[in-house]
Amino acid sequence: MLNLIKIKDKKKEQAASAGGRAPVKKQSAGELRLHKDISELNLPKSTSISFPNGKDDLMNFEIIVRPDEGYYLGGTFVFTFQVSPSYPHEPPKVKCKTKVYHPNIDLEGNVCLNILREDWKPVLNINTVIYGLNLLFTQPNDEDPLNHEAAAVLRDNPKLFEANVKRAMAGGLGSVRAVGLSQAPQMQSL
Amino acid sequence: MASPDEESPAPTEPERWRDLDMLLSRPGNLVDANFDPSPGLRDTLGSLVEVLVVGAGGLGCELLKDLALSGFKNLHVIDMDTIDVSNLNRQFLFRVQDVGKSKAEVAAERVMERVSGVNIVPHFCRIEDKEIDFYSQFSIIVLGLDSIEARSYINSVACGFLEYDSDDKPIPETLKPMVDGGTEGFKGHARVIVPGSTPCFECNIWLFPPQVKFPLCTLAETPRTAAHCIEYAHLIKWNEVHPGKHFDADDAEHMQWIYSEALKRAELFGISGVTYSFTQGVVKNIIPAIASTNAIVSAACALEALKLISGCSKTVSNYLTYNGLDGTHINVSEFVRDKDCLVCGPGTLIELDTSSTLSEFIKMLEEHPKLLMSRASVTHEGENLYMQSPEVLEQMTRPNLGVPMFELLKGAARATVHVTGMAENNGKKVSSLRKLRVAFKGVEKNSKMDTTESF
Amino acid sequence: MAAAAAAFAEPKTKYDRQLRIWGDQGQAALEKADICLLTCGPTGTEAMKNLVLGGVGSVTIVDGCLGQSRAKSVCSFLQELNDAVNAKFVEESPLALIDTNPPFFSQFTVVIATQLPERSLLKLDSICREANIVLVAARSYGLTGLVRISVKEHTVIESKPDHFLDDLRLHNPWTELKQFAKSTDISDKDPVVHKHIPYIIILVRLAEKWADAHDGHLPSTRQEKKEFKDLIREHMLNLDEENYKEAVESSYKVSVTPGISDDIRQIIDDSSTEVSSSSSDFWVLVAALKEFIANEVNGELPLEGTIPDMTSLTEYYVSLQKIYQAKAESDCLALEHHVKKILKRIDRDPDSISRAYIKAFCKNARKLRVCRYRSIEEEFGSPLLSEVQKYFTDEDYCFAMNFYVLLRAVDRLAANYNRFPGIFDSEIDEDVPRLKTAAVSVMSEMGLNGASLSEDLITEMCRFGGAEIHPVAAFIGGVASQEVIKLVTKQFVPLPGIFIFNGIDQKSQVLVL
Repeated sequence: MLNLIKIKDKKKEQAASAGGRAPVKKQSAGELRLHKDISELNLPKSTSISFPNGKDDLMNFEIIVRPDEGYYLGGTFVFTFQVSPSYPHEPPKVKCKTKVYHPNIDLEGNVCLNILREDWKPVLNINTVIYGLNLLFTQPNDEDPLNHEAAAVLRDNPKLFEANVKRAMAGGLGSVRAVGLSQAPQMQSL
Repeated sequence: MASPDEESPAPTEPERWRDLDMLLSRPGNLVDANFDPSPGLRDTLGSLVEVLVVGAGGLGCELLKDLALSGFKNLHVIDMDTIDVSNLNRQFLFRVQDVGKSKAEVAAERVMERVSGVNIVPHFCRIEDKEIDFYSQFSIIVLGLDSIEARSYINSVACGFLEYDSDDKPIPETLKPMVDGGTEGFKGHARVIVPGSTPCFECNIWLFPPQVKFPLCTLAETPRTAAHCIEYAHLIKWNEVHPGKHFDADDAEHMQWIYSEALKRAELFGISGVTYSFTQGVVKNIIPAIASTNAIVSAACALEALKLISGCSKTVSNYLTYNGLDGTHINVSEFVRDKDCLVCGPGTLIELDTSSTLSEFIKMLEEHPKLLMSRASVTHEGENLYMQSPEVLEQMTRPNLGVPMFELLKGAARATVHVTGMAENNGKKVSSLRKLRVAFKGVEKNSKMDTTESF
Repeated sequence: MAAAAAAFAEPKTKYDRQLRIWGDQGQAALEKADICLLTCGPTGTEAMKNLVLGGVGSVTIVDGCLGQSRAKSVCSFLQELNDAVNAKFVEESPLALIDTNPPFFSQFTVVIATQLPERSLLKLDSICREANIVLVAARSYGLTGLVRISVKEHTVIESKPDHFLDDLRLHNPWTELKQFAKSTDISDKDPVVHKHIPYIIILVRLAEKWADAHDGHLPSTRQEKKEFKDLIREHMLNLDEENYKEAVESSYKVSVTPGISDDIRQIIDDSSTEVSSSSSDFWVLVAALKEFIANEVNGELPLEGTIPDMTSLTEYYVSLQKIYQAKAESDCLALEHHVKKILKRIDRDPDSISRAYIKAFCKNARKLRVCRYRSIEEEFGSPLLSEVQKYFTDEDYCFAMNFYVLLRAVDRLAANYNRFPGIFDSEIDEDVPRLKTAAVSVMSEMGLNGASLSEDLITEMCRFGGAEIHPVAAFIGGVASQEVIKLVTKQFVPLPGIFIFNGIDQKSQVLVL
């Protein structure tokens, strides 16, 4: 390689006088892949997307879900997506910004969705995640709860669950707490 | 590394280099085609070649020493970290008194003290803080990192310098080779990346499997292991008890809190194995590290750098793995490039008139025989020029459609553009992401200054 | 200040990253070790640097380099790296020391001999073997080099293999496990419970069901294994039940061959199990293991006692853990009983082997390793001819075999000419045929008359001129130190033969000769 370095050395001097152009900002492979995901988004009718930092920051965006059926009909739920440069090696980080009474979403906004953690694979994409989030509202899952109490109510008394959801959606956080969420999950009895 | 101290002077210079000079001054049969042996080769190497070492940790300390003792005289080292006590079992350039100081600065100083004639410039900052131009001065970049993200960044920078000629052949003067090392316990790897001829980091990123993550509902409902209890405290309980307070893994109080919460939870569920040390290991994702593996992998990397630059022997082709758990296993695999790699691949050359608009450009892609891409979205160096979807972005980028590409690409004679759309592959239309090299007809390469002025 | 606080840093913090690999016991073994280094050139110094950083007890540097005291300066450099290490030096030629003072070496745990010529290495090897001292020999030579270990026997309990089948006994469950499985309703109607029954229970139950329908046999043919998987799937309520997916993936664990592996059988059948008062604790335990197996109905080893994580309700999992632990403890007690009997028989104190040691032995009974090395004299005098021939003709090993012969040949030449071939530019051309002649004579002594050496490598060896190239020295020294760590901690498995470094294309190999 030394011969090449010698050539380069000469070129560098020439370039210095000619005012060479250095490449500007680097786009990571993750950003490019995200660009593809976003440009191919096929959002369900119930879902919209926004980019708080403008058109050139795709790594941070918000998904707004307005379920058109099920317990959560009429609600509006905002999720923030944070995508790292290692995407799709790493899954996007998704949090629910809206306080919600839901068996698979806790009051801190953690979302229990398998493809966001243990089942994430680089072949999945943003569309898959958005689809998964929509599913959480049409088919809340009482078998893998994050909000234990909500899950128990959903399983044992769907009518009460429905009422709790309505109350929580009508009144925001206060009501979510008021429907009686205990903070410490209890052990499942056999 | 022979060590000088006050009473016994360092070996005299010619003596120290006699062995290396034998290798660099004599012709051989198993050498690179461009090897030009001469008694002055080491001097040429020392004066002409600038080497960047990325990372001044376990591998970085070893690399700096090995490279300095391999005849390289102009070195730079970049690392944003400061020295921690737990580094001292392997990062041999650091002492207890150095704890808290910049790794790059201390490492540079220590090696310069011991190897006369070597100049090492430390950079105490993040790799992203440097202008891209900073990286252009180096003939070779040697990586001693422990993160995929950082490797990926340096890889994209180094590959970004690579230019291809009109036959899609890499232009040799634009090559910026990398040597990358990594270790974990008794295992490690060393690889040589010559962009455009051997696979780059992105070509086979699948070599690094994603980290295992526990399901949140397991943590919340059915914890079974000590790690589950620790991750519960870390990922769920912390935010619940400290809303809005950022968790800092380097804050001993924070770590202590996680530990005691995890312990409480483990006791509640009858789970054993939560210790403070294990808590740190899980929360910080600590990778065990020992001096010997780092020494072995760094030595392999430094040797490859020496051979690659001087041509004094063949180089590894192209990925070496070391495993010392059961015996000493060295395996060399020859991985192949991804010819469509977005980072190191040539991409498709598109020639445009300076007057061509973005919308004309998108139309061209539909008809281009190598692409046949419809519904293209276009991005350039982090700027989204046009997005077909979603609607919000389409609206924001629509005004660009009528603007000449030459203007959107800021008057550069050549530029790299990435496009996404439906392209033909084996007769079927599939969604594709492609790299394009855009060249403007009749614009000289270094004419940016003149052209921008005319806008 | 951070620096002031760190000055009192606990060794625990300093060694944190390595304690995660070899634990407190491994570290204690290192801190007790006395390591001797012969010749402190780049290769030796690099090896010692890695050991001193890791915190070995003491190091003694022997070097007779004239002019400046290399031994002293290297010693002070090493001391600077870690003040917890006791660093000493001896200013004497290693060659002279080997000739005149053999008892000197018996004080060490390990002797690392670097850049030693063949003749002295042979002598040192017999001294070390006599005294039962581990010898690690390392050599850097141009772009090649080697590392070899010599010791009569090295036994390993904690071999810590990367991948090893979990010891679940699903093919042969003991009473308590069977009872627990039976007490669990695997068809529980509650979907939450159903999807959280650990696969161990599912497999024990379904294996029993299978055996009932197949004359007491477990699935063994490919077809049967497939049918067994189908049987598991029939019990799923829906397709996303992780525990059932795990059961299908782990179904092969039901079909493992009962009893002990060939590797363990070989250890158990070793003549060292005929123990006497001079036997090591390891062999006393193997003798006890042999009795343990003979007394077990199913001829199994003591149970390891740990289970991997699996989808499960916490209670099920914790109960299973306890059942496995209890069985492991009772196996361990049974083995201890045999140990005491044997110790009594060979006139040793029945309590002279600690319970902790017996426990570790039981836990790792499936992973025991015995490494024996031929002496260097045996290797030189009567190499394993079939191996040598195989290496010469095998594409992957041919380069390494060539290097091996050439590394020996350069020593011969050096003995005759008092210098390595190619050390003077003016004599390279004459040295090439000389080296070839020496290499041919090494080969014919090995019993190889037909094989031919690579001309390119002969020329390369002359070009190297015995140079100690720094990165090569760092690599060889690194490998040597890694092996020392494994030998001293008695964890992991050391090199089985001679590691030959190939710095040309990095395709290094291990030769067993």
